[in-house]
Amino acid sequence: MTYISNKPISLSFNRGTLLLAGVGREKLPEIFCPSVWAWDSRVGALRCDAIHYAAISAALAGQFGPSLSDEVPKPCRVHLPKVKLPRLRPSQIEALEAWSKADCRGQIIMPTGTGKTEVALAAMARKKIASLVVAPVRDLMYQWHRRILAAFDYDAGIVGDGLSNIKPITVTTYDSAYIHMAKMGAGFGLLIFDEEHHLPGKCRREAAILSTAPMRLGLTATAERSDGLHKDLDWLIGPVAYHMPFKEAEGSTLAHFEVVRIPVTLNQREQATYDRCSRTIRHFILSRRKEQPNYTWRILCKESGSDPQARHAQKAYYLKNSIESRAAEKLRVLEDIFRLHKGQQILVFTGSNAMAIEVSRRFLVPTILSHTRKRERLAVLENFANGAFPVLVANRVLDEGVDVPEAKVAVVIGGQGSTRQAKQRLGRVLRRTGSARATLYEVVCENTKEVQRSRERRRSDAYERPVHRRV
Amino acid sequence: MLTSDQSIVEFKAGRAIVDRLTQSTHRHYLEYAESMLAIYRNGKGRQRRQLHREIELLFADEPDCPVRRIQAFCKLLDDRSIFRTDPDGKAAKLRLDVFSRVTRFHPLVEKPDRLFEHDETKIKAQLADDLGLPWSEIEQGLYADVMTYQALEQFEGYPNASALLSRYNVAQLQACLYRAESMTVVAKDDLKTILRYAKLAKLLHDIVRLGPSKYRITFSGPASVLRQTRRYGVNFAKFLPALLACKGWQMTALLKTPWNTSARLNLSDSDGFTSHLPPPDEFDSSLEESLARKFGPERDGWQLIREGEILHNHQKTFVPDFTFRHKDGTQILLEIVGFWTPEYLAHRRETLKQFRHLAIVIAVPEKSLREGAHIGKNVLVYKTTLKLASLMEALERIRTEKSSR
Repeated sequence: MTYISNKPISLSFNRGTLLLAGVGREKLPEIFCPSVWAWDSRVGALRCDAIHYAAISAALAGQFGPSLSDEVPKPCRVHLPKVKLPRLRPSQIEALEAWSKADCRGQIIMPTGTGKTEVALAAMARKKIASLVVAPVRDLMYQWHRRILAAFDYDAGIVGDGLSNIKPITVTTYDSAYIHMAKMGAGFGLLIFDEEHHLPGKCRREAAILSTAPMRLGLTATAERSDGLHKDLDWLIGPVAYHMPFKEAEGSTLAHFEVVRIPVTLNQREQATYDRCSRTIRHFILSRRKEQPNYTWRILCKESGSDPQARHAQKAYYLKNSIESRAAEKLRVLEDIFRLHKGQQILVFTGSNAMAIEVSRRFLVPTILSHTRKRERLAVLENFANGAFPVLVANRVLDEGVDVPEAKVAVVIGGQGSTRQAKQRLGRVLRRTGSARATLYEVVCENTKEVQRSRERRRSDAYERPVHRRV
Repeated sequence: MLTSDQSIVEFKAGRAIVDRLTQSTHRHYLEYAESMLAIYRNGKGRQRRQLHREIELLFADEPDCPVRRIQAFCKLLDDRSIFRTDPDGKAAKLRLDVFSRVTRFHPLVEKPDRLFEHDETKIKAQLADDLGLPWSEIEQGLYADVMTYQALEQFEGYPNASALLSRYNVAQLQACLYRAESMTVVAKDDLKTILRYAKLAKLLHDIVRLGPSKYRITFSGPASVLRQTRRYGVNFAKFLPALLACKGWQMTALLKTPWNTSARLNLSDSDGFTSHLPPPDEFDSSLEESLARKFGPERDGWQLIREGEILHNHQKTFVPDFTFRHKDGTQILLEIVGFWTPEYLAHRRETLKQFRHLAIVIAVPEKSLREGAHIGKNVLVYKTTLKLASLMEALERIRTEKSSR
């Protein structure tokens, strides 16, 4: 069925896409930027992704003149009750100007603790247009909410954590943005992607694609991804507008720091189980490789459904992991660190929720986990800040960007060996707080794979300068 | 529904083979299903992690059971359970209280010495005294708001063991569809139900007529014409139970494998999956049923075809309840309107306007008419059931009008 219409031409927003109705299929080559459009026979109109709106809207208006009615919702101006921002440092001003010069579409790369949030708030204050802030996790989303409230006296809307309250200024998470952008993609003029390295993932990128917002700002300390997808940020957000290298930051805005690795040994029983599991896995894989030289872990997982021996090996692997992360000895080492730093604020990072809760139950110290509610989170952070709580335990939710005041000592128990995590975690202890040196302890099991992970961590450039000390 | 982490599917030669437990291959699973239901039925007051641990133990010696299958069962059992949540934030309050009380004793040490004298066990006992509760109870309540520590309050359950297995099989199909980029259904019957539920699942369709009363319907979402996307996978999964409840169809879904290649999932109504979906609008169908019975296969040169035609104009579709075909080739459509609200009738009229070039008879119940309503000539008004005589009269009148034109 060919669609012939005398209807006027209209451009509208439809579930994350733009529909151009009233233009026949045969007109496609004549339309501005034909490569982004596709003919949708299901609705009898041309369709393209909402991300192209800024590029095409003016050109279409020029091409069709008054017969085009642009029905795409326009972002509204925002009235900010007040604007109270700290004076930006020269590097922050430089970053903001560079972004403005890039037509307000680009990335700012600055190390943790150098005030990316302030740059973003300054951009919002300057543009005064409907804005959406996308953060990696709920904690960071709430933190943005608080920062916006403090800076502008504006109670931002929240989409995520079971809430769906869209306002001219709204905060959300990457996961919620992926789900809801089809619905809310047309209302915003400015998108801010905090920790933008989360965006290029196969699904999450749709948060950028399904939105019409012409202005986009990406913030991160480390844009690189091991899968190379960070290159796509150039079109999802815009090219890098400003880049401050990590080393430039150290010593000026960040404190000096020291990394101390504490190897712990498993107790006899744990070590015995651990070794038995290792043997089981090794024997199993070796025996399989005799028949099947390229036998891999993936094949093992696949076969574990039907082959009891493969399943046995798989279970051994999981058991090994759980021994690594939950060794009783780690709790003992933690006690030693607590003794050593009595009177100082200490942050403890664990590899899992279960370990975090275990530490909390042993020492009766507060945790911040992904499900911790706003009120408790605030109380815990405040009491930690004013010194009432000596210790704060967190799983990976504190990895990135969560403002933790005044911690000079951090302990990492478990965790994976990615460069980015190491940087982010260091950033937490390295906030500028006078001249005192910060210390990061890594508690790893000796004779296990964790030692290797720790070595991998230290290869990252964040660890190049500091002194390493073995206890 | 399951999560992607619980999905078990094998890709072989471009085809998806979804995990399925049947009488012939997995007879012994009926017993497991029975035991699983028993664990949850008797599990009131127990923590989620304890229940999951028990299910896990149940399969400890079963050679044919991947970890994902166990996790999927746990999810399906949890889906029909109510766990005690902590709406008043009691656990959070308890935590803040307990943690604040012990800060001055920090750190709690295993073996006290001169410098650090606060023995973990002693302080905890002292705290229990202060709060007037045994320590074990305090420890239990401390993280009662964490999912895995929540206690089971009520288990709604499944009617029996085989119902749990049926649900498992459908849930695995649904989880496999999370990978789907598009879905094609070739249907002969139940067109109306299929389209209605696809629309409820927010899918767009493309319809091609393959032959009399046979259509190929391709489902996808708005952005599917622009790029391959798995964005609508959840929509396909939501739609599937409705499709399984229908008759006379074949389905092919295009999937993306974890290795970024394509694969197909093929299904049809003869695959024997049972769906828990109730048939839509039972009132509607019972009225239609009785008319079809009274009419018989043929009457006065007219043949009755149930839901024979899909009328479509882009996303507006209209599947009349009956098509009457006279042996001289005249085709007349009948739509029976049940007892509906004025808004629904108005909406229906709008739809019908788009198809006014066709011969459509509408049967409207007297109760639904406004007072003094103007009755069009192709409208039949009925009291409780549609009378055959008045229907035949209308059919003949339209046929003569048509042939004389």
